[in-house]
Amino acid sequence: MSNPKISPVTGHYVTIDVDGLEYKVFYLENGTGQPLVCQHTAGCHNHQWRGLLEDEEITSDYRVIAYDLPRHGKSDPPENTEWWKEEYQLSADHYANFIIALCDALELEDPIFMGSSFGGNIALQLALRRPDRFAGVLSVEGADYSPGFYLDWWQHPHANAAQVCASGTWDLMAPQSPEADRWKTWFYYSQGSESFKGDLHFYSVDHDLRGKLGDIDGEQCPVVMMTGEYDYLTTPEDSERTANAITNGSFINMPEIGHFPMSENHPVFRTYLIQALESLQKKKASVTA
Amino acid sequence: MSAQTSAPTAEAWAEAFADASNNDTEIQAHGKYFTCSYLLDATDRSYVIQVESGRVTHVTANPGPLDVAYQFAIRASADTWREFGQPVPAPMFHGIWAASFQRDMKLEGDILVLMQNLRCVTRQVELLRVVGSPV
Repeated sequence: MSNPKISPVTGHYVTIDVDGLEYKVFYLENGTGQPLVCQHTAGCHNHQWRGLLEDEEITSDYRVIAYDLPRHGKSDPPENTEWWKEEYQLSADHYANFIIALCDALELEDPIFMGSSFGGNIALQLALRRPDRFAGVLSVEGADYSPGFYLDWWQHPHANAAQVCASGTWDLMAPQSPEADRWKTWFYYSQGSESFKGDLHFYSVDHDLRGKLGDIDGEQCPVVMMTGEYDYLTTPEDSERTANAITNGSFINMPEIGHFPMSENHPVFRTYLIQALESLQKKKASVTA
Repeated sequence: MSAQTSAPTAEAWAEAFADASNNDTEIQAHGKYFTCSYLLDATDRSYVIQVESGRVTHVTANPGPLDVAYQFAIRASADTWREFGQPVPAPMFHGIWAASFQRDMKLEGDILVLMQNLRCVTRQVELLRVVGSPV
């Protein structure tokens, strides 16, 4: 075979300990420069970042790392517990501790954290908890509080959970996004029903930063929020309200895109992402100057 | 916002909707077990849509009080359904989840049946972008 089309994106596993649980974590990476650590949305996996991972303009300045949270994609549930005997309910504490442990294990210096949806919410938690550990966070489709999606339907045994998760999140995407990319996202969502509901325990139940946003040290760890106008769960108004309550926080409205912007339409998302990265770097420079 | 209906009568819309669904390649490919009945309540007009094995067998326009049984209902104002009938709906009018969370749509009745048929019902509702508003 001549001229095989081999992507520069590489995959690795790293074993880490978080709160006594041992995880073998899979991550994809490409690029050099400041680490840009990317969290997928609930019930999904790191292929949502497939466009970003091969975006040469961004990977020329950033080391893009997109991991699978345990129980997602190629990251298995804990190696050292009988996890099948417990209900999975992700907590803010464990989720944040996981991300910090991963960054420590990979010896990342001044990483920028970016997450979407429940990743956007944990971005805010990280900025609150460990402003010293991150150069800044990009909270995509995030808010201080996002109730209403911790539903039994995601794993109801009398329905096809794969299709309920995939089609139940279909409306979170914008009709303008390319059909092929929306269907890829649908396909990812058909794979994660057993983790989706447990993830949403964090998203809709345990995550609640109402009244705490003022405690985020947005000088040390700048926060940029960005939300698509077709997001019915965390609306642009929710994110803007949240950003306005954070010191040094800012908000970017994203027309004609939805709740999975990096996965449903990377070419549109990247224009806002570049703007967000520039904004974050300026905030950081103005503080350190 | 004042979207126009593309169906002059409820009966004409019912026929156009059934044709669109029965000729849709996605529903044909994935509708082998798509069987249910539901009420599309657009306030000023209503329809009971009956589907068997992926095929719309009957759409009853403006049914009388005891005419046709159904398993679940999708209810919204006429204005909301008119937005659903746009080729590119505005945000929050682009699906039953979006309009239920953020607008006046209500999902009622045996929701389990809706969930069991969610993939194809979602597709049917999107066909309104082609068929036009039901009201």
